Amino acid sequence: MKRILIIDDAATVRMYHRQILETAGYKVDEAVNGIEALEKSLQHPFGLYVVDINMPKLDGYGFLRELRLQDIYQAPAIMVSTEAKPDDQRQAFAAGANIYLVKPVKPEQLLIHVKLLLGEALE
Amino acid sequence: MALIKTQTAQPISQDERKQARDCNSLLLELNNDNPMARRWAARDLTDCPTASAALLSRLQHEDEVSVREVILTTLTVLGDEVAIVGLVNCLRSEKVALRNEAIEAMKQLPDEVAPIMRGLLTDADPDVRIFAVNILESLRHPEVESWLISVIDHDPELNVCATAVDLLGEVGSTASREPLLRLKARYAKVPYIQFATDLALKRISDG
Repeated sequence: MKRILIIDDAATVRMYHRQILETAGYKVDEAVNGIEALEKSLQHPFGLYVVDINMPKLDGYGFLRELRLQDIYQAPAIMVSTEAKPDDQRQAFAAGANIYLVKPVKPEQLLIHVKLLLGEALE
Repeated sequence: MALIKTQTAQPISQDERKQARDCNSLLLELNNDNPMARRWAARDLTDCPTASAALLSRLQHEDEVSVREVILTTLTVLGDEVAIVGLVNCLRSEKVALRNEAIEAMKQLPDEVAPIMRGLLTDADPDVRIFAVNILESLRHPEVESWLISVIDHDPELNVCATAVDLLGEVGSTASREPLLRLKARYAKVPYIQFATDLALKRISDG
C-alpha cells in the first residue's frame, strides 16, 4: 500500500482528508507546511502528495518545485486549494502538480483522482 | 638623530557608519544590488518612522526571502497606518509567498489590525476574506468569536465559512453552537462542512 502525505496548515482539512484516505485503506502522514513536508519526503518518499497552496514558511508551489528537484521517484501530487482562478491552476501545474482540485473536495472526487494517479483500478 | 615618527593607529571614523545609518542613506541602500546591504538597511530603518512607504515599495519586487522577512519585521515594528494599509494590499498580491508573509506579519499586530478587521472580513474578494480569517487565528482580541460567528452566518462563500469553522473549533464557546448548527443545515450536502461543523461542535462541548 502506497503512503500518502497530506500537506495543509488547517488541522480540520488534514483530518478530513486523512479520514477519507484511511477509510479507503491508505496509509497517511501529515505535514503542516512545505518545509515539514520536504523533510518528511526526503526521509521516506511517499507514493502521492495532497498539497494545499497557502501555507506559512513554504507554500504549496514552493514545496512542489523543491520536491520535483529532489524526489527521484517523481511521485504524483494533487494540489487542493480554495482558489479557483485559472492562473492558480496554471501556477500549480507549472510547479509540478498533476491534478488541481478546488476545496472543499468531495470524498469520492478525491479518491477517484488518488486511484487514477496511483494506477489503481476504479471500483 | 632624526626623529622617527611612530605610526599611530588611525582613529576609527564614526562618520561613515553614521552616514550609513542616516534615514535617507538607508532608504537608498534598500535598492542596493547586494542583498546583505538591503537586509541591513531594512533592519536599521526601524529607527526611521516615515520609512513604511519605501519598505512597502521594495517589498513588492524583493526576490530575496531573507530581505522580505526583515522588511516585514520592520513594518510590524513601525506599525503605522501606511504599514498596515500596505500589508493589507499584500493580501491581494498574486505572489503566494508575499501574501503568506503578510498574513504572518499582520498576526503580530493585533491592536493595529483589529480596527480594520471588520472591513477585511467583508472585503469584496473572497480570498482576502479567507486571509482575514487566517489572521484572526492568532489575533488575541475579545471580538474574534463574534467576528467568526458573523462570517458563518452571513458570508456567501463556502470556503470563507469553512475557514471560519476551522478556527471556531479552537476559539469558539457555546455562543457559537447555534450559528454552527445553522451553517451545517445550510450546507447539508457538503461533506466537508458536515465534518468540520461536527468537529467544531464536539470541541466546543468538550470545552
